[in-house]
Amino acid sequence: MNVEPILKVKDLAVEFKTDKGTVRAINEISFEVFPNETLGIVGESGCGKSVSSLAVLGLIPSPPGEIVGGSIKFKGRELVGLSESDYRKIRGKDISMIFQEPLTALNPVLRVGKQMKDVLMRHQDLDDKEARKRAIEFLEAVGIPAPEKRIDEFPHQLSGGMRQRVMIAMALSCNPSLLLADEPTTALDVTTQAQVMSEINSLQKKFDTAVVLVTHDLGVIAETCQRVIVMYCGEIVEVGPVKDIFENPQHPYTQGLLRSIPVVRDKKISRLPTIDGTVPDLLNLPSGCRFSNRCSKVMDVCSQKSPKLEGQQHQAACFAIKESTGE
Amino acid sequence: MSQSEGNKTTVSNVKRESLWQKSFKKFLKDKTGVFSFLIVLVYLGIACLVWSGLVANQWDELLADGRFGPSAEYWFGTNINGQDVFQRTIFSTKTAFEVGLIVAILSSLIGAVGGAMSGFFSGTWVDELFLWVFGCLECIPFYLFVAAVAFALQDNPFAMHIAMISTFWTGTARLIRGEVIKLKNLEFVEAAHALGVHRAKIIFRHLLPNTTHIILVQASITFVAAIKSEVVLSFLGLGVKDGISWGLMISEASAEVASGIFNNFIAASGFMFVLVLAFNLFSDALQDALDPKKVSH
Repeated sequence: MNVEPILKVKDLAVEFKTDKGTVRAINEISFEVFPNETLGIVGESGCGKSVSSLAVLGLIPSPPGEIVGGSIKFKGRELVGLSESDYRKIRGKDISMIFQEPLTALNPVLRVGKQMKDVLMRHQDLDDKEARKRAIEFLEAVGIPAPEKRIDEFPHQLSGGMRQRVMIAMALSCNPSLLLADEPTTALDVTTQAQVMSEINSLQKKFDTAVVLVTHDLGVIAETCQRVIVMYCGEIVEVGPVKDIFENPQHPYTQGLLRSIPVVRDKKISRLPTIDGTVPDLLNLPSGCRFSNRCSKVMDVCSQKSPKLEGQQHQAACFAIKESTGE
Repeated sequence: MSQSEGNKTTVSNVKRESLWQKSFKKFLKDKTGVFSFLIVLVYLGIACLVWSGLVANQWDELLADGRFGPSAEYWFGTNINGQDVFQRTIFSTKTAFEVGLIVAILSSLIGAVGGAMSGFFSGTWVDELFLWVFGCLECIPFYLFVAAVAFALQDNPFAMHIAMISTFWTGTARLIRGEVIKLKNLEFVEAAHALGVHRAKIIFRHLLPNTTHIILVQASITFVAAIKSEVVLSFLGLGVKDGISWGLMISEASAEVASGIFNNFIAASGFMFVLVLAFNLFSDALQDALDPKKVSH
């Protein structure tokens, strides 16, 4: 791709201090987000998906968290080490975020419109009336019926799906060039999930926004993303176009993930394949490749060195791939 | 879209009832609460009349010739100086409300802001500092502290108020701190951060309004505590300096009660008892009405 990426994360490392020692939640990950694309980040709970999106917005809770290395460049501007007030100008305006729990993501004591207007008035220099008009337009754009009535309601008067739409409207209202969606559909039921996802997709086209979609739902990834990052224990194990990853997964972890999707059409009802073992404690990681203690293709080298991402567009970090292609 | 049409009909049927309206309705159903609130209002009315100078403006004048029992002219009798006990009792209502309101409002404000700051910055040195201040203020014995403040601010009529505010705000602050620590980890606060909302705005706009129910109830409890403390402090000679209060009247009565004269004592403690009881019942009802988890019956 010859297009300049709008977000360039390089060797980012995030650590959390705990009572038992320092945990490296993200270990030197690098990735890029290009304009207008949807990038999926997928992985198990605790693999660092959410932490990486929070790191981009500078929202790692500190203490105990801290960015200990690497750089995050947004449109060529370094974000690591940016002052709080400079960061605040970027949040919501250039980079926006939607969260997992729509039920708690809106302030229960403020009317929906008030919360939307706050954001608009802060970033777009609109007066109260214009901001209200814009807020209504955006509520309409995310498919909320009767927006001019809904805008004066309290969050508890809206359903979960509607609240998530309000969040999306709020996040997009200042026309950001990057939207971080941290499991935006996890708390919604399946039909609402589909509606919300298609809403995000159509708005993305309308406003030319790049989306980073953090999720553990491979179905959502397959439907909406162009490229996928697979994360395991704070590291990227595989990156590539969504089609390649789904049709030709390279890393044993990705293969395991894809095998664990239930197939309804299967005549024989058998046990769903799982990846053996559990995610290792981040305080007590296996040496070498972090997946080595659960991997079916484990070799001697795996416990000695940690593999690097290799490949062109479709990259994977595994020694077993080199072996098989080398032969 | 058929779905949106379906939604449109429900939208018009949605009862637009704010949380305040809901709480108000719940409060109205509580008979004891409403009745005690009315009593408090009567007291407030009396206090306002005293303020405006319409009643009890002769509380300090030597009307009669020495001590008399209750009569048509002096309902509660007169004291040894010939002052009208009824007028003094009525005037003391104003004193009580003055102390109660000033202490309740100021200590709730300081407590809310202090608690919110310390809760928002929990885990940092700001919070440590606040906790240290709370701890220091709380470990000084109350009456000793008042005496010290009264001594330090010689003849300042507000020495008692200052002493009460500086000790009472810590209770509110601790409660608000706990609530804010709970709230600040909720996603709407994280979302506010993610949308670039200023920290001060997050504290005052997003966090504090979510603790209004605690602040209100705490203020009503502080109000009662202030009135009661005023009586005790005035009795000890540490309280009201100019003017009259129920505490001062009881203090005067301490010599009289031994010789079987009760009019000062009964008038002052009776008035105070009814107000404190009514206000306590009212704050209970308020607490129930503002608690979204409690269902009215």
